[in-house]
Amino acid sequence: MTEKEKKFNKNILIAVDESDNARRAVSYVGQLLGGLPGFKIILLHVVHEPEEDYFPTSTQKEKWLTQHMLRMDALLEEYRQLLIKQGFNPKDVAVRSMLRYCPSMAVCILSERDETKYSTIVIGRQGLSRNEEFLFGSISSKVVNHARNCTVWVVE
Amino acid sequence: MSNMPSQDTLRQMVSRWVPPNRVPRGFRIHNDTSDFFRVEYDDVVILNGKPYFIRHNAKEQRFGLDDEVKFWVKRAIDLENGALKIMKLVFYEKFISRIGDIEFECFRSPKKEARILERVSGHKNFMHGYSTRDEKGNLIRILDFIKGKTLSAHVGNMGMDHETYYHERFPGILDHFFECVQAIRFLHENGERHGDIRRDHILIEQETGDYRWIDFDFNYRHRENIYGYDLFGLGNVLVFLVGMGDVLLRDLRREGNPCLGALSDADLNIVFNHRVVNLQKIYPYIPESLNRILMHFSTGANWFYENTVQLLEDLEKVKNDH
Repeated sequence: MTEKEKKFNKNILIAVDESDNARRAVSYVGQLLGGLPGFKIILLHVVHEPEEDYFPTSTQKEKWLTQHMLRMDALLEEYRQLLIKQGFNPKDVAVRSMLRYCPSMAVCILSERDETKYSTIVIGRQGLSRNEEFLFGSISSKVVNHARNCTVWVVE
Repeated sequence: MSNMPSQDTLRQMVSRWVPPNRVPRGFRIHNDTSDFFRVEYDDVVILNGKPYFIRHNAKEQRFGLDDEVKFWVKRAIDLENGALKIMKLVFYEKFISRIGDIEFECFRSPKKEARILERVSGHKNFMHGYSTRDEKGNLIRILDFIKGKTLSAHVGNMGMDHETYYHERFPGILDHFFECVQAIRFLHENGERHGDIRRDHILIEQETGDYRWIDFDFNYRHRENIYGYDLFGLGNVLVFLVGMGDVLLRDLRREGNPCLGALSDADLNIVFNHRVVNLQKIYPYIPESLNRILMHFSTGANWFYENTVQLLEDLEKVKNDH
């Protein structure tokens, strides 16, 4: 019996932050797919809302968040321009920045993927040492291990 | 200010709980503890109208170093009932902690500790207390004093050979440690982490023999695995308990231990590379079920514990083997 051919869409979610790995992931997609028709990109940044405990006062927390959001808005626009420069149609590159309390960033990324139904997630590898991964966990490893109904590209 | 007790009243109250030669002539009274260095021995701190007579600053033993004085942590006597308390004043501290060659940002959080104290109220495996604010809004924690020694001191002073310890003492210690891991699971299930799991952060209460976690004000900005650092701490405590202390490469070399040649890098702690975790190679009577757990904290591990439930399942098997 032949399995019914699964349909994949050409929508790609690139999970980004301020790291070099994220920039590499954006650059990879730009170089690989720029100029090809039909692909849609969403650049996703999940703002990991710091716990209340981290700041002595709520004012300090608000200040931190405002500054972080401004910085990320600028960075997302920079990444968007990078993709457009590499041949993507401006209307096919969207950005999304969202504030969430994330006990697990990987779970946040995957839940966003589940909502959008994009077929592909692209993420940069952090390049953690084994003991760092042991102590703190790896986002890309967890995304790879827990992703369902989508393909994950981990950019080195 | 109208509720402020007079010097005479304080003198009468203090004289009920300390010997006459320890009763000061006069008292400095604090309603504002913002500058904790100003709160000194023989002073009185008033919190919610309740007076506390301040005694010594707390000290914390650091491995192999002189005791570190914690100026924001005071011993105090509740002058209403004479109970000995630990008073933790507000100290917002952020610093970079280093574990092996890894650096990460840590901070102290009175809010976290206050929240956990409320959560673990009545739980036998945690310290108890409550939080209150001084007149400037500083969140102060008043902890019940636990009489007893640290797990570290208890296991470090067994005065017997390892094999005797392992067969006669370790099973009981393991039962208590199991409860400690269950207690951490309780925290994690409630979205909290201990933050500073160490063998000297478990006190063995003299009266009951219960093992009790202390000091939850430490926190860190977690990355992907919110509980990874707690699990690492639990692993280190377990290895210490199984080994009746740290088994260090340096010591094995010094004593010319014949097992040394059998050890490889994969047998060492994944972060502290001078500590042996494959203890079965040193003490062959350690069963496989237990050694397998230890090896999850080794350089050679290919799978790490993600939560306390996994660790408890494996520990349960070890308990059944004993």
